[in-house]
Amino acid sequence: MPRNKQRDINEDEFFGFAKSYLSEAFPNPQRTGCPPDSTLIRMAEHPSEQDAPVSEHLTGCSPCFNRYMEILASLKQR
Amino acid sequence: MAAQGSPVPPRISPIDKHGRDIHPAVIAAAEEVYARALEHGLKLLGDPAVVVDALEQVAAAVSRLVRTEAPPGAPAIKNLPGYVFRAFVRHVNRLRRRQLALRSSNGDGPPHSTDPSHALEMKILLDECLRQFDVGARDMLLRRIQGFSWNEIGKIHGLSGHAAEVRFGHALRKAQVRLTNGRRSLPCTTRLALTDELKPAMRRNAEK
Repeated sequence: MPRNKQRDINEDEFFGFAKSYLSEAFPNPQRTGCPPDSTLIRMAEHPSEQDAPVSEHLTGCSPCFNRYMEILASLKQR
Repeated sequence: MAAQGSPVPPRISPIDKHGRDIHPAVIAAAEEVYARALEHGLKLLGDPAVVVDALEQVAAAVSRLVRTEAPPGAPAIKNLPGYVFRAFVRHVNRLRRRQLALRSSNGDGPPHSTDPSHALEMKILLDECLRQFDVGARDMLLRRIQGFSWNEIGKIHGLSGHAAEVRFGHALRKAQVRLTNGRRSLPCTTRLALTDELKPAMRRNAEK
């Protein structure tokens, strides 16, 4: 039991770290190569239709990552 | 008064420090990502000269790839600046990791949450995951980051919650194995990485 508990804490730590890292590490003030909002919304709603370059962009551009997190959060609330 | 031609002088040398040529298209791509790369590299390496040097080395390596004729069926590089930037991030990770290894060669205890090298290892693992993950696994990662349950993730991917968890765990395990290939082991970051503990039939499901 304690072992499982420790692993769960590590999982939280990893995803928490990923969120803080991706949300800040790649500032892109010029918004170079950013997809339109509609593309992000479509990706959030239909992951099977995801576009690989856009998906890669999301994890290398903090503004887009943050916007995608907002979209996912609103999707989760629905 | 304004100077004619290119307003920004070139910052990337056409030859890296090892004397390797950099392809003009790659120089243009490196110039495009220069500001972002410098900002990111300075956070980890501190010295702008080291950062620019790292960017040039990456550009030289990418140039070799660009010049090499791609084998039939191999995907072409669609977004060269994005490709250069990602390669640069990985190279900076390697350099930083080397720096840390030199500073603390006696770090044989378990990583601690306040230990900066532990945070760096998580960052390196995350970068490796992002590099290796397919679109589906990357989407699972992003949804998990946002707090989706495995059942919610499974539902949107047409899987059971358990299958989604196992599939993601398998992808994560692959990234860890590749990262630790011949090097010191990383901490087992999540319980999802333990697909090896699953029964063989469940492992086969995870590989589908």
